[in-house]
Amino acid sequence: MSVGHYHALCRKYMGRAVEIRTRDGRRHRGIIKHVSRNRVYIQPLGRRRNLGGFGYGYGYGYGFGGFGYGLALGTIVGLALIPFFFW
Amino acid sequence: MNNNYLDCLALFGVGGAHPGGLPLTKRILSKEEIDETKSILDAGCGTGQTSAYISKKYQCHVTSLDCNKMMLDKARKRYLSLQLPIEVKHGSTENLPFDKGLFDFILSESVISFTDVSLTLPEFNRVLKPNGVLLAIEMVQEKPTTEGERTTLINFYGVPQLLTESEWCNLFKKFGFKHVHVEEDMQPIDEMDLELGADFALSEDIDGKYFEILEKHEQLTEDYKEVLGFRIFRCCK
Repeated sequence: MSVGHYHALCRKYMGRAVEIRTRDGRRHRGIIKHVSRNRVYIQPLGRRRNLGGFGYGYGYGYGFGGFGYGLALGTIVGLALIPFFFW
Repeated sequence: MNNNYLDCLALFGVGGAHPGGLPLTKRILSKEEIDETKSILDAGCGTGQTSAYISKKYQCHVTSLDCNKMMLDKARKRYLSLQLPIEVKHGSTENLPFDKGLFDFILSESVISFTDVSLTLPEFNRVLKPNGVLLAIEMVQEKPTTEGERTTLINFYGVPQLLTESEWCNLFKKFGFKHVHVEEDMQPIDEMDLELGADFALSEDIDGKYFEILEKHEQLTEDYKEVLGFRIFRCCK
């Protein structure tokens, strides 16, 4: 899928909880806070003790910005809504 | 009220925080006769997703009530951005800031469960018009639990009690609702339904402990999916 496709999808899912898979095999669970031309910024979900485990690394394509945790759209290979259930 | 789970929902700004989400809300309301002359109380409105939907769809008089100020702030922002004429009130369902006989409908979406039922139900009854209807989507206990499981759920969610379907029905009747109709939501879940995924309006700098609460909630949802369910109760005075 193209960068344009994920750009549109991320904008549609703004404010929703998603799981994003990146080319390096990592899974990123979080709430979409912002989408720029080439990045999606998410508020990661999950305990901080799992630092690294959930893909908090600073490898290629990752980084923290003013909007939280940014993923380069070009590294995304999969994106799904997390069906959260609340009482 | 001190409730970590509800504080967590407020900080994450979870919209539609009730079983079935907005799709269920729409289905329930579509069966009622609602027009612009009707007056509806969204009791425990949270971030106001339901109130906004009702106001836009039916153009009737909508009042949003919540006891959590952070939720109400997020609801106000939502109404402002959508330019909806919704009245916002801060208060508890256990002691409603309204005169008697004001509303045609009260909607309670997973709200009574978090309150003292013996206080909330008489209050709902009081502020409803004589032919008013209470529509409630509430948590029910589907199977017997051990004392330990019960304590886990009650402590985590901060609910004063866990009630079975028949216990709910008896309580509605005890507190003045003569006719109670119960429905189970049989709609298959469409995981790609955008409206079913909760919408989040995040606060800045959420304390790490609330991420743990969210994670614990996900775990409990999985562990207790056979034990906890929900019903739609339609109650008439």
